[in-house]
Amino acid sequence: MMRSNGTVGRCLVNEGTNWNTMIERIGQNQDREAFSALFAHFSPFLKAFLIKSGGVTPENAEELVQETMIKVWRKAPTFSASQASASTWIYTIARNTRIDWLRKQNRQNPDELHAEDVYDEREDPTPYSSLVQIRNKKHINEQLGKLPDEQAEVLKLMYFQGKSGQQVADTLGLPLGTVKSRIRLALNKMKLGLMPAYKEGITQGGSYT
Amino acid sequence: MINRHPESDLMVEYATGSLPLAHTIAVTTHLQFCEECRNTTESLKDIGGDLLQSGESIEVSDGLLDRIFDCIESGKDEISAPLKKLCSDKVANDLPGYVSNLLPEGNLDWRKLTSSLRVAPVSVGEQDYELSLHRINPGGKAPKHYHRGREITVVLKGSFSDEDGVYQPGDFIVREPGDTHRPFATRNEECICLSVLEAPIRLTGLKSVLNPFLSFSPS
Repeated sequence: MMRSNGTVGRCLVNEGTNWNTMIERIGQNQDREAFSALFAHFSPFLKAFLIKSGGVTPENAEELVQETMIKVWRKAPTFSASQASASTWIYTIARNTRIDWLRKQNRQNPDELHAEDVYDEREDPTPYSSLVQIRNKKHINEQLGKLPDEQAEVLKLMYFQGKSGQQVADTLGLPLGTVKSRIRLALNKMKLGLMPAYKEGITQGGSYT
Repeated sequence: MINRHPESDLMVEYATGSLPLAHTIAVTTHLQFCEECRNTTESLKDIGGDLLQSGESIEVSDGLLDRIFDCIESGKDEISAPLKKLCSDKVANDLPGYVSNLLPEGNLDWRKLTSSLRVAPVSVGEQDYELSLHRINPGGKAPKHYHRGREITVVLKGSFSDEDGVYQPGDFIVREPGDTHRPFATRNEECICLSVLEAPIRLTGLKSVLNPFLSFSPS
């Protein structure tokens, strides 16, 4: 069942538990069967994600999938299901792999800073309040599909195409302020971080447009 | 008490990786102080994980898994521990470990801009942005200046204030192009900040010849 790519993978409700266990098996026992199942499920999504995210050609995409999955294998012993779910963890590794690759293409890396250093994710993740995290994760699962189209569209452009808020505004022909408020509304709806600033919008560091 | 946080769009850009490196560093620095924003970041990555699996998928080539197992067996692509460069500048002791780790080896190159303000550039290999540390003496005033580009400041130690308020460690302050302000440090303690500058600022008033950030380029 774990090998049947597609059916198992698309069932988001059970996804968390299953894949978390797979990564733990990889981390604890170098379990190749678990890794193969994880690979079968995630690598087609990773390939599509990397190609769409911009700057990565279809030819390079598999190289980056490979790099991402090797990191998954190597870092599996540090995976902790109480810190992040499998999909979040793999998404983060893929994002960092992509950032480093793009910087290398631009020869922008004289100091050898890696995304992991810059995001402070290398070792010993900062302890998060896991109760809050679990609650947030549940909200996100429930609310993401229920977002109004215009909010979901903005998030998808940012997540799938690596666009900034300004680039989304340019793409959609909207004022930046409209894009910002759609993001804010979407995050509010998902109750992200239970952060008062997003509710009021008055204590933010930046100015509003 | 942290009152200033990155706006939600900046947080999404941070989580999705579309921010320039220097800005990413500024947000991570804020996260060292702010648990709320750390939780938000985790949630924003959860969205990434969810969207990843609800998006398109493209079959990978047949031999890819085998190639990955080959790499793993051969020990190639082993993750090497980063070489820890220690910054010997005294200021490193006053900063969160995350920030000290980004600093170059040896002493920082402090430039005295006014009697109470010193600035040290921190190179992260970006051309379009300047990342730097600022130190204002206790009670000292920074020169009044005008922003040609966006400036992000994160307070690391002490506090400072300007026309708009008082800023404490962890506060994340964004100044948009066209803003003019005159920050000064709280009287009893020096203030250290991390700042990211998109374009050089220009001093207003008498000392306008002394654009401080031009002094970074070889003269």
